[in-house]
Amino acid sequence: MPRRVGGTTIELDTVEFLLQQGWQSLKRNGLMALAAICNIAVAFAVLSAFVLLAWNLEHMARKQTESAVITVELTSDAIPADVEAAINRDLRVKRTEFLSRDEALNRLAERMGYDKEALKLVGNPLPDMFIVWPNNPDDIPALAEDIKKIKGVSKDKDGVRYGGQVTKKLLVVARGVKIAAAVLTILLGSATLLIVGATIGLTIYARRREIRIMQLVGATNWFIRVPFLIEGMLQGMAGAALAAVLVLVGYYHVCRYTAENLAFIDFVYSPEMVALFAAGTILAGIVFGAIGAMLAVRRYLKIV
Amino acid sequence: MIHLQGVSVVYPDGTTALDKVDLSIERGEFVFITGPSGSGKTTLLQLIYREMVPTEGKVLVDGQDVAKLPAWRVPLLRRKVGVVFQDFRLLPNQTVWENVRFALDVVGASRREKHRKVPIALELVGLADKANSYPDNLSGGEKQRVCIARALVNSPMALLADEPTGNLDPEISLELTELLANIAETGTTVVMATHDKMIVDKMQRRVVTLLHGAVVRDAKEGGGYHDRA
Ligand SMILES: Nc1ncnc2c1ncn2[C@@H]1O[C@H](COP(=O)(O)OP(=O)(O)OP(=O)(O)O)[C@@H](O)[C@H]1O
Ligand SMILES: [Mg+2]
Repeated sequence: MPRRVGGTTIELDTVEFLLQQGWQSLKRNGLMALAAICNIAVAFAVLSAFVLLAWNLEHMARKQTESAVITVELTSDAIPADVEAAINRDLRVKRTEFLSRDEALNRLAERMGYDKEALKLVGNPLPDMFIVWPNNPDDIPALAEDIKKIKGVSKDKDGVRYGGQVTKKLLVVARGVKIAAAVLTILLGSATLLIVGATIGLTIYARRREIRIMQLVGATNWFIRVPFLIEGMLQGMAGAALAAVLVLVGYYHVCRYTAENLAFIDFVYSPEMVALFAAGTILAGIVFGAIGAMLAVRRYLKIV
Repeated sequence: MIHLQGVSVVYPDGTTALDKVDLSIERGEFVFITGPSGSGKTTLLQLIYREMVPTEGKVLVDGQDVAKLPAWRVPLLRRKVGVVFQDFRLLPNQTVWENVRFALDVVGASRREKHRKVPIALELVGLADKANSYPDNLSGGEKQRVCIARALVNSPMALLADEPTGNLDPEISLELTELLANIAETGTTVVMATHDKMIVDKMQRRVVTLLHGAVVRDAKEGGGYHDRA
């Protein structure tokens, strides 16, 4: 049955013909296509592994940044509002949260699994405190020193506490990996385009007689190009799918190993993440395949 | 249906292939284009199916100035103008049926249309019984008939044949030319470039003679190869 697409009628028979042409194209240059697919797979495997790495480093850095806070204990005679105002005057401070000694006890009880009422009977040993989030985790040590000087802040050794000093290095590494991923995307992406383009160029050459006849009997340019675009997209898709499988299998083993042996490393791993990663990689493969084919078609179809 | 008005073609290397040609061919006419090798026959046909645009002058096909056709309209012109060549240009790994159907495949015809039109075209050229043969197993004359069927299956208004008998023996050549003349009887304009004197003399149809790219004779009432104007 004819279907209307963009104002012109497209016959089912025609869709079949185009798909068949694309597939035949792929088959005709079987070995070359296989080589191209393997090349694309390697390029995409390297690329997607980098993307995964960057993704995980980001994730770790984000988690650490969230936990990068300064806990400030107050003396029993302090006026919380004055201390808070003093802390907030510092431009390095993003925000503060007041934690009354009761609330602090509740949280502690919750975290430890104690009964709150029972704890209260024992008496609350905790002081009032502030949680301080810095704008930049790098500032934490200096900021903590300055907060210590504020009137009403406990002068105890642990009166002003902080943790999470790995963040900065992690962010630097994450940025490095992201830059590397971008550079690799450009290099391996162009390589993929060239590979797809060269393969399609060969098919175009192999099919020049057919193309010539098509042009003579009135096939539109669109019609002549579609099979090659399909061929390119199939190549890209196959290569990327192969890469996604390889990388995910490897990643799964890395995750399992670290979960068992290096529990402090927290990799992102969930069904959604696997699905998103696979879909993204394959989609990128299809897009790169289509672009490569388009470039080849523009370059080689004129000279047929 | 086909009108050339003051048409000149100069190739980039400076060769003048056609020189101020005026020519009118009406619907359903059968016309020979003759002339010695290099006189511009192929170039003239190429202008009509827009393989080439004139350096000067106008080429009108079915009222349209083909030089002004945007690229995306050229395929539509090609569906109105079938072409046949000396070297056949068939797909060797496809059957006769598939070769003819190919012209319908690429213009997006429906399955039903293909099943209706392919047999008609094969019948017309007398090859109904060879539908499942491969081109390599056909004689030269049969191959050329397949090409004619392929050119006709889209029901074009005109059929251009560039030395279609160039690879055939005299007897087969004449048969094939008669087939083309019969096709013209059905209302399809046929323009055939040839330098086969025997055929032109035998057919006694309109003859346009080119020499160095210029029309030196147009025997509208029919004539032989060397008749004087
Ligand atoms: N692509 C081209 N570039 C330059 N000159 C060309 C080109 N094609 C044809 N010519 C020249 O144009 C002139 C006409 O050529 P054309 O092919 O139209 O002649 P023809 O009558 O078909 O000859 P033949 O009988 O040998 O097929 C010739 O001089 C030829 O050399
Ligand atoms: Mg010629």
